[in-house]
Amino acid sequence: MIRVHNLHKHFGSLEVLTGIDEHISQGEVVVIIGPSGSGKSTFLRCLNLLETPTEGEIYVDDQLINSPKANVNKIRQKMGMVFQQFNLFPHLTVMDNITLAPVMLKRMTKDAAQAKAMELLARVGLAEKAGAYPAQLSGGQKQRVAIARALAMEPEIMLFDEPTSALDPEMVGEVLDVMKDLAKSGMTMVVVTHEMAFAREVGTRVLFMDQGVIMEQGTPAEIFGNARNERTQKFLSKVL
Amino acid sequence: MDRISAWAADLAATFYKCFIREDRYKLLLGGIGVTIKISLVAVLLGILIGLIIALCSLSKKKLLNILSKIYTDVIRGTPSVTQLMIIYFVVFATVHWPKWLIAAIAFGINSGAYVSEIFRAGIQSIDAGQTEAGRSLGLNGRQTMIHIVIPQAVKNIFPALCNEFITLIKETAIVGYVGLTDIQKAGDFIKSATFEAFMPLIGTAIIYFVLIKILTLALGRAEKHLRRSETH
Repeated sequence: MIRVHNLHKHFGSLEVLTGIDEHISQGEVVVIIGPSGSGKSTFLRCLNLLETPTEGEIYVDDQLINSPKANVNKIRQKMGMVFQQFNLFPHLTVMDNITLAPVMLKRMTKDAAQAKAMELLARVGLAEKAGAYPAQLSGGQKQRVAIARALAMEPEIMLFDEPTSALDPEMVGEVLDVMKDLAKSGMTMVVVTHEMAFAREVGTRVLFMDQGVIMEQGTPAEIFGNARNERTQKFLSKVL
Repeated sequence: MDRISAWAADLAATFYKCFIREDRYKLLLGGIGVTIKISLVAVLLGILIGLIIALCSLSKKKLLNILSKIYTDVIRGTPSVTQLMIIYFVVFATVHWPKWLIAAIAFGINSGAYVSEIFRAGIQSIDAGQTEAGRSLGLNGRQTMIHIVIPQAVKNIFPALCNEFITLIKETAIVGYVGLTDIQKAGDFIKSATFEAFMPLIGTAIIYFVLIKILTLALGRAEKHLRRSETH
């Protein structure tokens, strides 16, 4: 579903990604862990071209997406993204946040989009907040709306960029629960997170990134139970 | 007591002379119409030009950056009376449009430079995450700008825009230079015709004040409406 070949990303002279090769199949829940500055978020953001790769190729459904000929907007419609800072649109109600893109991109009529939004809000447990503005929601509620907003485009892949890092501890659980449900439903997910319990429980594969490359990867049992790489062991000993 | 009533009678007589006799109030009413017409068209044109120039200055294309920089530099670096006269007597010298419309265009061009700086600051004040969220949903750059960034920017810059509109209305008091009779010029005509200074000039000031007060109140209500999404 996603194939990454020799991905490099430089910011000026700073080399953030230094050669990543990865293949993500349909239905996988890939959890990316690693220390700050290891390039996890940059890697994720390259997948939907919020960052333009300096070198290398990214294929989504066998289509090369980082070529000048690729229709970036079309490709992004297949990939939902959830941000650390939620990034809800503060001037729109929860309902309008969710229906804006599907209606504007003519994926659905307004009525259909609203029906879909109510269904998604019920799924994330926020049906009664349809008419609220983001400023009236708690952090956990905002992030659940953000997930619903991304799902409204009916994406094939969901990208999560540290979705619980900006939340108060008591709100982390409600967001992770929504993500677990989503994983169970068979959604292909790529999740950058510091929530090791989530990685272990929900992840089908764990990637450990450091210094701009994938240092080690394996099933959660392999990584958390029996990491071979010294850096992985060191990182895990600090966070577990 | 006698002195006060004598003074009041004198005031009433001057008032009559300045505003009622020979239907002089009609001159002022006409002036109000001219001021409002020019201001309204100039404000709309200023917003349009301002937005375009702001988007040019934020564009990735170097040429557009340079053009927008030149525009704001030239407009801000020259007096508005000079601009008005150049537009009227040079640029539109051979064009037979209504005088007020040409003046409105001149003020719109002038206001656009200031509005563009307000818009630019407003657009830059919106978190990059908003654009990323819009783009990640598959919206293109223009859709994201129009439906996500600009509505939020407008809310933030609304007070600064109101300020610019008010300044613009008062700036139009120079249109007498190109032979238009706005409020200021009407007051001036009455002053010359009656040899009275106090009454026509204070009258002019009061008319401007009332017009701007009404506008301020209306804009205040509009801002409240814009800020409804922030209520907790």
